Amino acid sequence: MSKFKDLCGSARQKLAGAGKFIKEKTAPVTGAIGKGAKCVGTAVGKFYEKTGLSKVIRPASLDKRKARSGWMFVLPFVIGMLFLYLPVILDSLWFSLATISSVKGGGLTMSFAGLKHYQDALLTDPSFSQKLLEGIKQLIFDVPAIVIFSLFIAVILNQKMLGRAAFRAIFFVPVIIATGLMDSINIEDTLSDHMGSGNGISTGAQENATGQIISAMDIAVLFENMKIGNEIVVYVTGLVNDIYNIINRSGVQMLIFLAGLQSISPAIYEACMIEGATAWETFWKITFPMISPMILVNAIYTIIDSFTSSSNVVMTYITSKTSTDMGELATAMSWIYFLAIMLIIGIFVAIASAFIFYQKRD
Amino acid sequence: MSTEMTQSSAHVTKVTKNRIHVDYEGKMPFWKRLRLKIFSTYFLTQVVWHVFRFVIMLGISYVILFPFFSKIAGSFMGMEDFVDVTVRIVPKHFTLDTYKAIFLENKYLDAFLNTTLLSISAALLQTFVCCMIGYGLAKFKFKANKLILICVVLTMIVPHETLKLSLTMHFRYFDIGGLAGFTTAEGVRIIPGLLQLFGVNIMENDLLNTFWPMLIISATGLAFKNGLYIFMLRQFFRGVPDELEESAYVDGSSVMHTFFTIILPLSIPMMITVFLFAFSWQWTDEFYTKLFFPAANRITLMPDIAEIPKSLETNYAGQSLYYSAIKNTAGLMIIFPLVIVYLFCQKYLVQGIERSGIVG
Repeated sequence: MSKFKDLCGSARQKLAGAGKFIKEKTAPVTGAIGKGAKCVGTAVGKFYEKTGLSKVIRPASLDKRKARSGWMFVLPFVIGMLFLYLPVILDSLWFSLATISSVKGGGLTMSFAGLKHYQDALLTDPSFSQKLLEGIKQLIFDVPAIVIFSLFIAVILNQKMLGRAAFRAIFFVPVIIATGLMDSINIEDTLSDHMGSGNGISTGAQENATGQIISAMDIAVLFENMKIGNEIVVYVTGLVNDIYNIINRSGVQMLIFLAGLQSISPAIYEACMIEGATAWETFWKITFPMISPMILVNAIYTIIDSFTSSSNVVMTYITSKTSTDMGELATAMSWIYFLAIMLIIGIFVAIASAFIFYQKRD
Repeated sequence: MSTEMTQSSAHVTKVTKNRIHVDYEGKMPFWKRLRLKIFSTYFLTQVVWHVFRFVIMLGISYVILFPFFSKIAGSFMGMEDFVDVTVRIVPKHFTLDTYKAIFLENKYLDAFLNTTLLSISAALLQTFVCCMIGYGLAKFKFKANKLILICVVLTMIVPHETLKLSLTMHFRYFDIGGLAGFTTAEGVRIIPGLLQLFGVNIMENDLLNTFWPMLIISATGLAFKNGLYIFMLRQFFRGVPDELEESAYVDGSSVMHTFFTIILPLSIPMMITVFLFAFSWQWTDEFYTKLFFPAANRITLMPDIAEIPKSLETNYAGQSLYYSAIKNTAGLMIIFPLVIVYLFCQKYLVQGIERSGIVG
């Protein structure tokens, strides 16, 4: 054991000696480098001072350094945008403008085709423009329904009531769970319609597959004396029968409205109560204006959400077209659809922004 | 009634030397008070409103939950039940065959493990990256700030279908800015070599059928609905007072250090919310999974569960209902882990959103 210790000690001495030796030998070199660096530094400094650059180039200011760290934080997104997303978008634009054909022996060639696919989509294709109009019409009818419903539910969920926590948990189930795969399973689900309907069994046939809660006739009787047009009756019954779909699609909107409602100062409501305002007046004079920016956000979100969802009429049509030829036509169609929706959003924002009340924050 | 109200003035009695007891309603008998209370318009409208509200909430909860009940009921039904007129919700021929077939034939366990790995890694990456981007957009002023925010919104707006074809192409022949192509031409296969380490087909830089496309779009904040998360987190960070960071900077903390030790712990409820969204939307995602895993011999993932198992394929009168029930059972099995996660995290969902003050 002692032998081992000796060995270790001698080895350590030797190593230390070697280190010293290396230090001595390299000292001139490192010294020279250090001196050289100092010289260069002072020379640069003098040069700066002489030429007046020192007044121009300074160590970065706090703002600049903060801007730099800001870039650092968003760097992942910028990289993704530049190297993945923009090329993908440009590619997709290029696909819609080109004709792709496969070459014998593998590989693809692309040739510029101009606006041919756009013309095909709008003029030649038998049902695209019809589907587009149908989709936009559906959108215009759906958006107010979803926004109003989610506002209503958010207002109720914001009040103190029996079992509020349980209701909240239930109402956000669709947001978390009934998306994607479950959505597509739900669309095909004939069983729950069958169980929900009170009629006799029909061995899975589609006749009473739409589990209607009310029929158009009931509402027609109700509305008959009001002199309301038939379209509105159909619209309202459509909405009521589509309630599950509407609930499913209004989860995120409910969350956004809840957040908005929470941010309204209770002092305002208190003042209202003291002044003797009724709940109805309070809603229209306080809650509604304060929540109006959220209404805009939610309306835009609903438009985006429903037009990017795969259950959309136009989207299903486009998806069905993807497999034909190389998919250029489908790409062109989705670009047309995209432009149409952007136009709708633009018009909506332009109109709505005149009515929106922004609370001044100080 | 109002005259009675005015007549009943306060009744003051002296309890001790320094204490008095004021009895406002002392003069009015109990039944009269009760009658006054119950037959006031305010009370009546309140009662009606409470009942109406409760009934509406119950009704909508029923509409939300009924498909789940029917799925659960249907999953235990035997084949005979679907042609039986008397069976509606309670099964007569109780069976677990559907579960068994899906579990064994559709390789539920494989799909579960693979999807767990994929979803957790993607959701963690997304949460962290979105946090960084949101923080950068909320707290730092630089020239392109607005432009980047517009780009974030743009990624939300452009439908995925538009990008389907070119996204597949990009990951099929993957190279970053032409780098891989260059290196292959030179004979130095740096990037393909690196990719080979992670199980990628080197000859063609084929990233499809691996986790990489999903991880790459997660790490760059471009995955499903990431625009929404970035926007939510940006609004949350805007609500965090600047003084917090300034005091940290004054004490000599760097920007990164401040972010990791002060900002991130502060935003944990919000991060749990975003993680919950990212995880569950990734879990039930169909579009990207089918896009990035197109081959037939790929790893088993959740979309494979929702197929009809071979042993249950039949042809009889109740076929369409039966198949629907099988698919529903598969759906139940898919969302079962999510339900558990949701039960534990739903508290944070509302809290996180409420604290975020999205209004901004």
